[in-house]
Amino acid sequence: MPKNAEEESVTVNHRWGMVADLDRCTGCEACVVACRAENNIPTVGEAEAARGRAMHWIRIERYWEGEFPNARLRYLPVLCQQCDAAPCEPVCPTYASHHTADGLNAQVYNRCIGTRYCANACPYTVRFFNFFHPVWEKPLHLQLNPDVSVREVGVMEKCTFCVQRIKAASLQARAEGRELRDGEVKPACVQACPSEALVFGDLNDPDSRVARLARSPRGSKLLEEVGTQPKITYLARLSWSDDEENR
Amino acid sequence: MERRDFIKLSALTAGAAGLAGCGNPDHQLIRFLPEENLIPGVASWRPSLCPLCAAGCGVLARVMEGDAEVVRDGRTGLLKMGLVKKLEGNPAHPVSRGKLCARGQAAVQLAYHPDRIQQPLKRRGERGAGEFEPVDWDEALGTLAAWLKEVLAGDPSGLAWLSRPLRGGRRALVERFLAAAGASPPVYFELLDESVLRRANRLGFGREQLPTYVLGAANYLLSLNADFLGTWNSPVAQAIGFGEFRQGQPGRRGKFVQVETRVSQTGANADEWIPIRPGTEGALALALAHVLLNEKLRPAAAAGSAGAHIEGWSQGLPEWTPEKAETLTGIAADRIRRLARELVAHGPAVVIAGGAALAQTNGLATALAVNALNALLGSVGASGPVRFTPQWESTVPALPHRTLRALVQKILSQPDSPVKLLLLYEANPVFATPPAWQVAAALDRVPFLVSFGSFLDETNSRADLVLPDHTFLESWVDDVPESGTEQAVVSLAAPAMRPLHNTRALPDVLLELGRMLGGRVSEALPWGSYEEFLRVRFDALARQVGADPEEFWKRALEQGGWWSENGLVHTAAPQPARATSRLVRYQVAETDGAVEEFPFHFLPYASQAFYDGSTAHLPWLQELPDVLTTVMWGSWVELNPQTAERLGIRQGDMVEVASQHGTLQAPAVLSPGIAPDAVAMPIGQGHRTFTRYASGRGANPIAVLAPLEEPETGALAWAATRVRVRRVGAGRLVLFSGGLSRFPHAEER
Amino acid sequence: MKKTASRINGDLLRPVLETSPRFYRAVALVGAVAALGFVAWGYQVWNGIGVAGIRRPVFWGFYITNFVFWIGISHAGTLISAILRLANAGWRRPVTRCAEAITVFALMIGAMFPLIHLGRPWLAFWLFPIPNERGLWPNFRSPLLWDFFAINTYLLGSLLFLLLPMLPDFALVRDRARGWRRRIYGWLALGWEGTPRQWHRLETAMHIMAILIIPVAVSVHSIVSFDFAMAPVPMWHSTIFAPYFVVGAIFSGIAALILAMALLRKLLHLEEYLQPKHFDNLGKLLLVMSLLWFYFVFAERLTVWYGNDPAEMAVFRATQSGAYAPLFWAMVFCNFLLPMPLLAIQRLRTITGTVIASLAVVVGMWLERFLIIVPSLAHKYLPYSWGTYAPTWVEITITVATFAGMVLLYMLFAKLVPVISVWEFKVGSHRHAMAADARLQTETEPEPAVGEVSA
Ligand SMILES: Nc1nc2c(c(=O)[nH]1)N[C@H]1C(S)=C(S)[C@@H](COP(=O)(O)OP(=O)(O)OC[C@H]3O[C@@H](n4cnc5c(=O)[nH]c(N)nc54)[C@H](O)[C@@H]3O)O[C@H]1N2
Ligand SMILES: Nc1nc2c(c(=O)[nH]1)N[C@H]1C(S)=C(S)[C@@H](COP(=O)(O)OP(=O)(O)OC[C@H]3O[C@@H](n4cnc5c(=O)[nH]c(N)nc54)[C@H](O)[C@@H]3O)O[C@H]1N2
Ligand code: SF4
Ligand code: SF4
Ligand code: SF4
Ligand code: SF4
Ligand code: SF4
Repeated sequence: MPKNAEEESVTVNHRWGMVADLDRCTGCEACVVACRAENNIPTVGEAEAARGRAMHWIRIERYWEGEFPNARLRYLPVLCQQCDAAPCEPVCPTYASHHTADGLNAQVYNRCIGTRYCANACPYTVRFFNFFHPVWEKPLHLQLNPDVSVREVGVMEKCTFCVQRIKAASLQARAEGRELRDGEVKPACVQACPSEALVFGDLNDPDSRVARLARSPRGSKLLEEVGTQPKITYLARLSWSDDEENR
Repeated sequence: MERRDFIKLSALTAGAAGLAGCGNPDHQLIRFLPEENLIPGVASWRPSLCPLCAAGCGVLARVMEGDAEVVRDGRTGLLKMGLVKKLEGNPAHPVSRGKLCARGQAAVQLAYHPDRIQQPLKRRGERGAGEFEPVDWDEALGTLAAWLKEVLAGDPSGLAWLSRPLRGGRRALVERFLAAAGASPPVYFELLDESVLRRANRLGFGREQLPTYVLGAANYLLSLNADFLGTWNSPVAQAIGFGEFRQGQPGRRGKFVQVETRVSQTGANADEWIPIRPGTEGALALALAHVLLNEKLRPAAAAGSAGAHIEGWSQGLPEWTPEKAETLTGIAADRIRRLARELVAHGPAVVIAGGAALAQTNGLATALAVNALNALLGSVGASGPVRFTPQWESTVPALPHRTLRALVQKILSQPDSPVKLLLLYEANPVFATPPAWQVAAALDRVPFLVSFGSFLDETNSRADLVLPDHTFLESWVDDVPESGTEQAVVSLAAPAMRPLHNTRALPDVLLELGRMLGGRVSEALPWGSYEEFLRVRFDALARQVGADPEEFWKRALEQGGWWSENGLVHTAAPQPARATSRLVRYQVAETDGAVEEFPFHFLPYASQAFYDGSTAHLPWLQELPDVLTTVMWGSWVELNPQTAERLGIRQGDMVEVASQHGTLQAPAVLSPGIAPDAVAMPIGQGHRTFTRYASGRGANPIAVLAPLEEPETGALAWAATRVRVRRVGAGRLVLFSGGLSRFPHAEER
Repeated sequence: MKKTASRINGDLLRPVLETSPRFYRAVALVGAVAALGFVAWGYQVWNGIGVAGIRRPVFWGFYITNFVFWIGISHAGTLISAILRLANAGWRRPVTRCAEAITVFALMIGAMFPLIHLGRPWLAFWLFPIPNERGLWPNFRSPLLWDFFAINTYLLGSLLFLLLPMLPDFALVRDRARGWRRRIYGWLALGWEGTPRQWHRLETAMHIMAILIIPVAVSVHSIVSFDFAMAPVPMWHSTIFAPYFVVGAIFSGIAALILAMALLRKLLHLEEYLQPKHFDNLGKLLLVMSLLWFYFVFAERLTVWYGNDPAEMAVFRATQSGAYAPLFWAMVFCNFLLPMPLLAIQRLRTITGTVIASLAVVVGMWLERFLIIVPSLAHKYLPYSWGTYAPTWVEITITVATFAGMVLLYMLFAKLVPVISVWEFKVGSHRHAMAADARLQTETEPEPAVGEVSA
């Protein structure tokens, strides 16, 4: 397919990945709102939210440990892990959920017919479904990002690693006849994250910040045991006592 | 001003026919002349300023071409204009450094809110009934001008101003206007006011200003109840610093100790979390100082003027033994000793006190003790993490809570209010003050209320006349941040997009009024537009900096303001430390309500999404799951599980919280992170009227607060009320996490 | 008592040739309920799939439960009759046709659910491998595609299997009917004359079909199980699923068959043809399947419990002792505890006994499908995103309607064709046939069955 080849020539040599440093994440949720704003994620309202239909492509999971006065709380930013072996892909009957040349798990809204099979197969429960036709009460629709298509009823959606930003930056770089610089592509959540807990970049470039961080001894993958080969590395939150050995 | 770009399509009938085909009734026949130099599909980035809290983060607005339905000269039509699509932090801005908080990310919804006031309104129904009818600007301005003339002709002090604390050009303009008119001085109100800390800093460090914490430069962080990563002081700047504090310095990872009564979003990040009895934070600070002094870890003199105000400091605080502190705070004496030693051993250390710690009757003493402790640790000033943003001009509001209460008393002092005309702007005291303050009653006594607000909240909906302001994205904005950076900053931004509705920028309205009033007022306000006024201010600044005004102005508009390159230059002269070396004695904090009858300490807290309630109308924030409880679209009461069990309360049950001053109902959330003898509740919900998204949703904790205050500043002691709690029936929580708040087998993690 | 060929014809063809007003009333009633289902579906298509109770994380609920359930039911007929044919079990003769009919109708109903549950049903055709100008094909790696092929193959096979042996009976009706009936049945009979050559070919065709249809049937429910087993969802991702599902399918299928036969026996007064021994034999089969089913459930649960994988244990607890426990134990009661005595004890294995047991099994197997799907989805790996599920009136209406739909189709079927294969029955009761079939002893007179038909 010449068309695809042409498309992929832009980014084919990249392998996009992310690092989430749990020692930095403050649970501020700037990323959560930033993602909504960037990706035209509909607000479903109280009634639907109460029915488990609220959509947040990235969420901050929180887990308590212990009881007062020793109760501790841990934050865990969870978004699509862009799995290399993505269970959501083979099950999709229409290729709406499929793998791109640069390792993204792409979601082709136009192709999705709403079987919701992918959402069941995703171990991370990061896929969100449009149970009804989304509404933006006028003039809220004027805020919609023209670079991101608006989904319709019956369509699955999820974090895309802000593919529109990747494409834009890649095309820009190509127009200027140069390679993408490390840190040039910033997904909305990464750009917003004040404590820089989220870092994005090209895992194929061993010197990129994300690649270096991903090699950290603090690194691990979420639900690695399921065999999804996620492309997000979580850097463990340290406790002060044992920080010596973790330097 | 948009007159020139108004045209009309010739082929009306043809158009009508064609558009009728689309079956889109509100499709317009008029198409205004498109905005120039917009490339479809290509984004331009325009600087602006986040208006949602006092931090004053600089933002970059992503602007792209689009078709907006607008009103121009009374005609509705389609205008192809630049529309703001997304807000990002302005990387060049010293406060936000390219980042924003969750609220800042949602600020764009202010401009596109479906319930924005779109044109001037005149009250129709009863006061506060919220029934208005549209009027045009000429009539609206005429009415207001007439009232002004009448009031100023009589006793000018009958004119009063009530708004959120203003800074920069808007403040200068408003105060010029009021001064020229001879009106009473402006009242600047916000619930989460920091007068106590400012006053303590003035006494301790000679700076009546909020501190800037350079966390990246610290290695040990002791926070007393300060939600510095969420809502307090300059959260974005502090979160950036926290990232550096934790993982930014190679080979170093700072220790963060949080001392509070309920695990907050910030506290959850602590390496050591220590529960404390509310209002006793000062005792802890004094005991820590006691240890440092008595173990000769630091000389008393090191605290300088900050220590001078604390009784017994020079003697080494003999009475403040850790044992005594233990009886007050509930923190073991040994632990206090250990903390004190760690502060020295693992410095540079910084101690932060904020939020509920200072919202007490003894807040000032607490803040002074913490200041002295910081000074003792050598953490203050260029060397340490505690610094002060050099300011081009002082931005301190005159004791907001005290001045508001004075205004209320003045209004209620006589049968017919001496305040005849009250101008309201971006403050909602009816929602954000305890009932005992009687703000609503006072407003209803004022003969004529004029609001410049953009939304009909509890305060604006009482107005007789509404002259809606532009949103920040549609106006010239400027600011002088009080904290969050070591550089002197004067932010500035031109409108990021054209107005969507038939609104007008407040400063331009004031200038217009000045012209209409003539005389003193118009002489005091000779500028044609706010832009002109700002230009004059920046020319003055340019001269001070020694830059070419033209270049200076252009540069400021490009980068979003002016900031000094190398730290501490061009600053306003610091106010000298108060002459009185009066000693402040630490008092045990007063609380309202007897322990027997009201067994729980009530802790309202600024919510991540709604801050003080002023952002509850933004749907993105309503649907943002609270990070601790995952609640959306509502409010809740946090209870310790053991307490709940004792009271027969289950998660989600509707509970009644009753103080001596009011009761409220909200569903219960059981949280292992709150002390058994305290209940906490987020501020923000419970609006009677505040657009379709916030009206009649949840409950307002402020409505049960006692009117206790910190004596020196008159600041509301909003964390000093005691309550009782009981189950009243089944309730409903809208949770994002339908699952567990723990892993079934924690060891798996 | 004697059954002459003419009496057989009379008894078995009566329902086809004459209709009572009671029948019309019944059809109207059942039809109305079935129609409600379409109303509910229309409502769902118009307003969005959100009117159903599915939600995050339980994205599949009643619809997929019904899908698996009905495909399971379909395993009664064709599979059983094929096995019995090959085993040459004579007692099968009056049973096979009602059985095969169940298969066809259950498949038709079951196959509707993948479409009903789509978010954008108007684009359902993208599921099908239709050549298109964009050169876009569906994803053959997706078990949903395997479903498509498996179900269609099984449906076609079963239709053939059902229709082939009908030819002689259509001819029979043709010869007795007149007017438009005669023309229609004449056309359906495809010119059957009953010549020895035709008889020979029919027998051969039936034999080949019988052999072919068995692996297809087994594959169908194996593939349905793959819809779950292929996804890394706790307690779905299991090697046991394929045989487990096939056994469950045959189990529920036999139960459905027993119920259908009991109904026909009453309504069409076929007491003499569908005799206690038929129920007794099917009862024994049901007993075997019940034991097998329990064995699989036990094996599945034991390995999960012993393996003690945290993710799977969450589901295990939820079903064994948690929110879904009542449903789980109800299922065990319906599928095992209740049927056991009724089917194991000779004295209780009466028509009533087997019918009660079958009713329980049908309910129990529906619960089983639900319990396989929902608790697992509700308890995936990250506890933060656990959830619950409750159906709405839309899902309930559509579910009830499909049962009504099954009854309706069956009534119409029994009205339009003899539900008992007349000629096979006669062959069975013929002495020569008797020799060929020692298992069945009838006290009927020998009669030239074939001649009778072609007369
Ligand atoms: N109202 C209105 N009408 C317009 C326009 C407009 O802006 N507004 N724009 C005009 C222009 S510029 C254009 S190009 C045309 C475009 O008109 P169309 O070519 O109709 O474009 P779409 O409606 O986007 O796509 C057509 C259908 O293809 C389906 N589809 C998507 N993916 C696939 C696939 O993989 N296979 C198959 N078979 N179908 C698929 C979509 O669901 C949709 O139903 O519309 C023209 N008409
Ligand atoms: N998400 C999404 N993106 C798409 C598509 C999609 O289906 N979905 N479709 C793609 C396709 S096929 C196409 S062709 C492009 C179309 O992309 P565009 O060319 O942007 O098409 P429109 O936005 O319909 O029209 C452009 C602008 O022209 C204005 N306009 C209308 N009449 C006139 C006029 O007489 N004079 C002037 N000056 N302006 C006028 C309209 O108000 C509109 O703002 O979009 C592409 N992008
Ligand atoms: S995280 Fe879920 S959605 Fe994302 S690629 Fe993996 S399986 Fe697919
Ligand atoms: S819901 Fe859409 S994306 Fe997911 S499997 Fe079905 S068709 Fe594919
Ligand atoms: S990468 Fe983009 S799409 Fe994914 S969570 Fe972050 S902002 Fe949302
Ligand atoms: S923005 Fe960054 S720090 Fe804040 S919650 Fe998201 S990941 Fe955590
Ligand atoms: S801290 Fe948040 S709300 Fe306050 S100014 Fe900065 S971005 Fe806006």
